[in-house]
Amino acid sequence: MKNALWENIFRGKSKEVSQEVLTLKKVPVFEGLEPKELSEIEKLIHHRTYKPDEVVFRRNAPGEGMYIILRGKVDILTESGEGTSSVVASLTEGDFFGDLSLLDKEPRSATALAKDHTTLLGFFRPDLTALLKRKPQLGVKILMNLAAVIGERLRKTNDLLSQMQSKNISATNT
Amino acid sequence: MLLGIGFLYLIWQYISDIILLIVFAFLFTTILLPAVDWLEGKLRSRGLAVLVTVVSLIAGVGIFLSSFGMQLSNEAMDTYHKFEKEELITVIDNLRSNFTAILPEFAKEILESSSDETASADKISGYVKTVLGSLSQLTSAIGSFLFFATMILIFTIIILYEYHNFKRSLVSFIPNKYFELGLRLIRNIEKQVSSYLHGQLLAASSVAILSIFGLWLLNVFMDANLSLIIFIGIIAGLANLIPLIGPFVGMVPAVLVAVMNNIDTGAVSHYLFNVTPIPSPFFIFDIIFVFLIVQQIDNNLVTPKLIGQSVGIHPILVIIALLIGANLMGAIGMLMAVPAAGTIKAVSKEIMWAVRNTHLL
Repeated sequence: MKNALWENIFRGKSKEVSQEVLTLKKVPVFEGLEPKELSEIEKLIHHRTYKPDEVVFRRNAPGEGMYIILRGKVDILTESGEGTSSVVASLTEGDFFGDLSLLDKEPRSATALAKDHTTLLGFFRPDLTALLKRKPQLGVKILMNLAAVIGERLRKTNDLLSQMQSKNISATNT
Repeated sequence: MLLGIGFLYLIWQYISDIILLIVFAFLFTTILLPAVDWLEGKLRSRGLAVLVTVVSLIAGVGIFLSSFGMQLSNEAMDTYHKFEKEELITVIDNLRSNFTAILPEFAKEILESSSDETASADKISGYVKTVLGSLSQLTSAIGSFLFFATMILIFTIIILYEYHNFKRSLVSFIPNKYFELGLRLIRNIEKQVSSYLHGQLLAASSVAILSIFGLWLLNVFMDANLSLIIFIGIIAGLANLIPLIGPFVGMVPAVLVAVMNNIDTGAVSHYLFNVTPIPSPFFIFDIIFVFLIVQQIDNNLVTPKLIGQSVGIHPILVIIALLIGANLMGAIGMLMAVPAAGTIKAVSKEIMWAVRNTHLL
């Protein structure tokens, strides 16, 4: 006969990985982190749930950090001068946005809108700052990853810019 | 909203002590948090970091209080031994006869009639009762202070250990619409209160160091015969935490020690800094002068640099905040008035910023 007490004592720690950790693992900002470090990040992130068409943040609102989509969809909108807005990106599960706000205090440059019943994981600047003090090695890893993400984005922007410039040059030559 | 305020008013007398306790624990947490976070990074264990910080603090305060108490009691014994017992009795007798001589006739009769044996016995039993009553009051006051201090310590340890989790739980209640604004508000309030408290501690340290230096100069160049100058300096620094009245409170121990040490010397007829023709009994005016200079340096150079920029409240508003604090909670209220005013200012500033720059409000 099985004894519940002994079973519980020798059960050991659950090795089950949470949905949050699995999602975080796929985000480039948390790439290469040990499972223990990912659990540490899991303790810092904020769960936020949104209804369809609920605003996550508005353009010009204070930007405090990044969001990762755990479930649902989010549209990123930019507003033109005439009050109309256009969708610049549609993001789904595992995507992230607002990461620049982890580094600077500038207001949001676009509006984020939940398109479905959406659950987001928020990772914010005050938590990153505290992490840099409390667990500097982990904080530095995240900062390096963040720098790599921004570097990659800058490289792509430069490529696009040079492509456009070469198109312009060829257009003026013809 | 009104119902909530009414309910709070009704239960205020039952919860005010607990709220005060939590506020104190939060203030200590704000002061100790950077040290705990830094130590956690070094020791890789938050529990150990909290333990090391709290034990160091208790040890520091304990060593200060015990060595101060010991030295003060030695000083008191020295002062006591300065008088011969007979001499003291003669001085008291003379004082009594002089006092009786200036009394009107009816008062003298009352005094004489009360000097029979029965009256004396009644008087003695009255004194004993008063002394016993005072002793029991003192014991209960010390007991409640110790209980309060222990509770603050326990709350501080818990909040220090769980600070980041508490903050996360608190933040989870903010509605989505105001979430990031709320985060910004909390960050700015934390920054404001923390820089104010650290600024105050730095200003208190500078007052302590300057007072010690000033009193040391009096000892070296004026033969002021002042002892315990390090403790007096630290007390002056701590008293300086209470705005307006603190600086005057800080002078009291120095003046008392000067009187105790110089009561039997020629210092009674001493002149201010041996130059200015103002009699400075027991070097009292010299000490007051030193503390005034320290206050001038603190008010005009140190505090504006350290605190002025962090809170930046108009002096009139500081006085109003202090009066409100004193009315609500006495000395403790005065101690908390400026950080509270700073917090209100930070909240208003953030709301104004949100109104101007976002479409949230």
